Amino acid sequence: MTRAYGVKGRKRKPAEPKYDRDEDQQFNQEEEQPQPKRQAQEQQEQPTENNEELAGIPIAPSELNTDKPNVIFILERASLEVAKVGKTYQLLNSDEHGHFLRKNNKNPGDYRPDITHQALLSILDSPLNKAGRLRAVYIKTEKGVLIEVKPHVRIPRTFKRFAGVMLELLQKLSISAAGKREKLLRTIKNPVTQYLPLNCRKIGLSYSSDKLVTMSDYVSTVPNNTDLVFVVGAMAHGKIETDYTEDYIAISGYPLSAAYCIARICNAIEDKWKIL
Amino acid sequence: MGKTKKNKKSNKKSSPDAVAMKVKASFKGADNPFESIWSRRKFDVLGQKRKGDSRRIGLARSLAIDKREKTLLKEYEQSTKSSVFEDKRIGEGDEALDEFGKAILRTQRERQMNMRISKKSKYHLSDGEDDFDEPSALGLGRDDFEDEMLPDDDVDEGYETKRKSALGVPMEISVAEGEVNKRKSHAEVMKEIIAKSKFFKAEKAKDKEEKEELMEELDKKFTSLSQSQALVSLTKPNNSVQEKPDEYDMDVIQMGLEIRARPSNRIKTPEEIAQEEREHLEKMEEERQKRMLASEDSSDEEDEDSEKPSKQNPRCLSGDDLGDSFSLNEETMAKKGWIDEILERKDEEDSDSEESGGEYSDDLGSSEGADEGSDEDLDDHEKDLSLKDWEQSDDDNIGIDLEEEDDEEEGKERTSEKVDGKNVVDAGTKRGTDSLHAKKIDDGGKQSKELEIPYIIEAPKNIEELYSLLDNRSTSDTILVINRIRKSNPIALAGENRKKMQVFYGVLLQYFAVLANKKPLNVGLLNMLGKPLIEMSMEIPYFAAICARRRIESIRKQFVESIKNPESSSWPSTKTLFLLRLWSTIFPCSDFRHPVMTPVILLMCEYLMRCPIVSGRDIAIGSFLCSMLLSVFRQSRKFCPEAIMFLEAALIPAAESNISHADSQAYQLMELKALKPVLCIRDTVNEIGPLNFFQIMDMPEDSSIYSSDNFRASLLVAVVETLQGYIEVYEGLSSFPEIFAPILRILFEIEEQKNMPNALRDKIKDVTELIKANIDKHHSLRRPLQMRKQKPVPIKLLNPKFEENYVKGRDYDPDRERAEMRKLKRQLKREAKGAARELRKDNYFLLEVKDKERSLLEKERTEKYGRAKAFLQEQEHAFKSGQLGKGRKRRR
Repeated sequence: MTRAYGVKGRKRKPAEPKYDRDEDQQFNQEEEQPQPKRQAQEQQEQPTENNEELAGIPIAPSELNTDKPNVIFILERASLEVAKVGKTYQLLNSDEHGHFLRKNNKNPGDYRPDITHQALLSILDSPLNKAGRLRAVYIKTEKGVLIEVKPHVRIPRTFKRFAGVMLELLQKLSISAAGKREKLLRTIKNPVTQYLPLNCRKIGLSYSSDKLVTMSDYVSTVPNNTDLVFVVGAMAHGKIETDYTEDYIAISGYPLSAAYCIARICNAIEDKWKIL
Repeated sequence: MGKTKKNKKSNKKSSPDAVAMKVKASFKGADNPFESIWSRRKFDVLGQKRKGDSRRIGLARSLAIDKREKTLLKEYEQSTKSSVFEDKRIGEGDEALDEFGKAILRTQRERQMNMRISKKSKYHLSDGEDDFDEPSALGLGRDDFEDEMLPDDDVDEGYETKRKSALGVPMEISVAEGEVNKRKSHAEVMKEIIAKSKFFKAEKAKDKEEKEELMEELDKKFTSLSQSQALVSLTKPNNSVQEKPDEYDMDVIQMGLEIRARPSNRIKTPEEIAQEEREHLEKMEEERQKRMLASEDSSDEEDEDSEKPSKQNPRCLSGDDLGDSFSLNEETMAKKGWIDEILERKDEEDSDSEESGGEYSDDLGSSEGADEGSDEDLDDHEKDLSLKDWEQSDDDNIGIDLEEEDDEEEGKERTSEKVDGKNVVDAGTKRGTDSLHAKKIDDGGKQSKELEIPYIIEAPKNIEELYSLLDNRSTSDTILVINRIRKSNPIALAGENRKKMQVFYGVLLQYFAVLANKKPLNVGLLNMLGKPLIEMSMEIPYFAAICARRRIESIRKQFVESIKNPESSSWPSTKTLFLLRLWSTIFPCSDFRHPVMTPVILLMCEYLMRCPIVSGRDIAIGSFLCSMLLSVFRQSRKFCPEAIMFLEAALIPAAESNISHADSQAYQLMELKALKPVLCIRDTVNEIGPLNFFQIMDMPEDSSIYSSDNFRASLLVAVVETLQGYIEVYEGLSSFPEIFAPILRILFEIEEQKNMPNALRDKIKDVTELIKANIDKHHSLRRPLQMRKQKPVPIKLLNPKFEENYVKGRDYDPDRERAEMRKLKRQLKREAKGAARELRKDNYFLLEVKDKERSLLEKERTEKYGRAKAFLQEQEHAFKSGQLGKGRKRRR
């Protein structure tokens, strides 16, 4: 939790809960602010582009969202656990630490950080995110640690590096961007509900639910101005049990992997919001 | 204060662990839960063993107090004292020892002390009798050494010792002597070794001696043997055997003598090749001269150096040579024959060329074209055909041309040139003997050599000289002459040759132009001239370009003049056409911009655009220009709207109804009178022959052939074929449908005509289908106009910063020094905090002690006070009660 090297300035006040709220608000403001800038840049770029392409053909107005609804994903029961294996701390994972886990009377099958990795990748790689319509991803681990993932983080593609990031995150409690002070990943206080927007629909997904729906149909019923919160389990077995979800649906007759489930959700939302 | 601190610190360093251990051991049994304090873990980390989870706070406190009592308290107590009682008795500091142990220690030490004292006294008493430890007496040692000095020792050793003693190093000697003294066995060993080595040495020397003796003996024996006859008899047969040549040896020798691969001559540079050619020509020329002079000795007009010896030669020969008279005869014969022959040839040639013109027109020159081989283009086919100068009335024009050309080349002898030009004109028109005569007057010497071509020819300076060289020569001879001129003046050899060749190039171009303007067109010669012209313009590209540009300028000027006059046809002459064709072969057509080709193309396009189409011949010339442009544009695929427009305009008169094309752009090209269907085929045509372009050019403007259906059909074929070429070239243009759609309509109309010959109809059908297919293709490829899509900009992603093998607590600062500094600072802070804490606790402790003391003092004082007060009170009481003064005490 030390400050970045060589940067001096006003120290942040230690009032944690307040800070979180401030940060959220700041984040919202940030989201709003860059857009005029971006537009200005585009206007500057336009002449050069015109030179390259056909002149005289008007450019279609770019749709940049200001007040458009966003999506939030919550990955429940992610198995991100750090343990001291031998002399070093490592992110527990069923492949590498099977013996260690068995020695400690744990079921190796429960330790699957790769599910979280895949799920995160499929969220952050979706056009939904690229279009800037993802507000945040929250990960709640099996141990109860709540992690906030900013939408503009580039998660390492390889699992080993992902494990390195998670290990550092769980020990240092935050990960900043390379070359910047901005925090991309950080652990935050429970419960997650305090970070969710007011006018939002919290949807839990489970194979065990009786309400089997077609995702696109279901999404179309949601009013256009409400934010969407999807709660997806990132565990190998079992189901999510959350008290804050308003709805509890199954989107397939078959049990789906977290990554695929998220892909399906993203597709449906992209269709609805016309993101190509 | 400082002292206490130090003490405390040192204690702290060593004690806590030990003390804790001890205390733990002693307190193990009684684990008082009230004495311990522990922290609850929030996250249980698997596999982590944490120390100091729970601490016994009471124990730690009591330990700290204990420690202070031992150290700080004592110091405090001492602080008021001026002297200290220190117990330095043996074993008193050690707490583990009991009294008995202490006593034992003390006796031990006592005995040791006694022993040391006794030893010392012993040493003093004996005074070096049995003491080996100290090197005491030098004199004694020396004596010993001398005693032990062996008589049979090595000389070296003895010498060395002597030297040492002489140098006066008594200490060393004494040491050495001591060693020897001490280890007698070592000396013995050394001796043994020395003896052994000596023995070996002696043995070796003995062996050597023996060997030498043996050698000497052998030598002696050998000398005696060699002197005797026996050796000679033994060695001789051997020699004889060796002398006989072996087969293998033979082979080896042979191989050595065999010719090996030799390096070939190096590849010659262009200069060398040119030089060689020139030398060869010179040699030939010399030979020719010899031959000439042998035959004709009377000709003295030659101004060459080799003349005189060659002149004399035949005279020398004439004395005894048989062929003398013969050669003389021949000479006279030849001399007479030349003029006659020339005259004859002149006539012959004229008639020949006319005949050949007829011939060519008959057999359509296909074989001729194959012979030439240098040109491959479509239009060449046309060009190959002979044609007559259709510009008959332009004699003046030619004159002007020539003048201009002369100006270009050199403006020195203008007047004379003018005369020459007139002569040329004369020659061009009359081709009579007058010009011949004139030339004879000019340089009769050269005339005499006309039949035989000289091998070395100076480059002609002007057209006159060239005429004199080339007159009356056949086509092949002309080319030969030109080639020899080029070979005898190679640019690569001499600097002045470049200038000569430049002049010659100008002359040759002029010659080409004049030839192209001649009435009976010598197409073969023109074709042959093309090759040297192209090659020469490769050699002098800059000059060639300048020449071409000048000519283009003058042609354009002429054209502008002629277009002002609506009566005369402004279409280009044959000369212009030939020149244009020549340039388009010489210079690269596909360049984006070229100093010659760009104006040439512009000029051709201007012709097509501005010249009114009046007759069928105009269309023929125009279509020729179009095909020429096609050949130019084929590679670069530049779009030439003029050509397309002209082709369209040429097709319109072929259609029966003109009304539908009134809106067409091509309309403006046509003069109103030409709008009547010039090319409309009225009657059935039995066969369509390829168009003979040269023939057409030759025809007078109002010739009947232009109105013949055969001509029309073949012209239409030519136009349609050119159009097809353009279609193929412009296939890729995206505006293809717009360009060719109007033509398509006209073609449909033409196709529907009833008198259309079948072959032509098929051809037109092919072309229309080609156009239609291409138009369809382009239409299918076209996309509707739509708004340009802005590519959505994705949000900018940031990479998280993390370490590969993260260890908590390690500083991952890339700047090691800074990290180190920070670590030290942290440590310092921690230490400072600890020290402050300890000091604070010390203070509390002292305060407590002082308080206790003060309270004790207070208590004592109050007690005293109370006692005194009680006494006084009692006394007062007694006094008041009257017991004082009287009572028993006194009485007692």
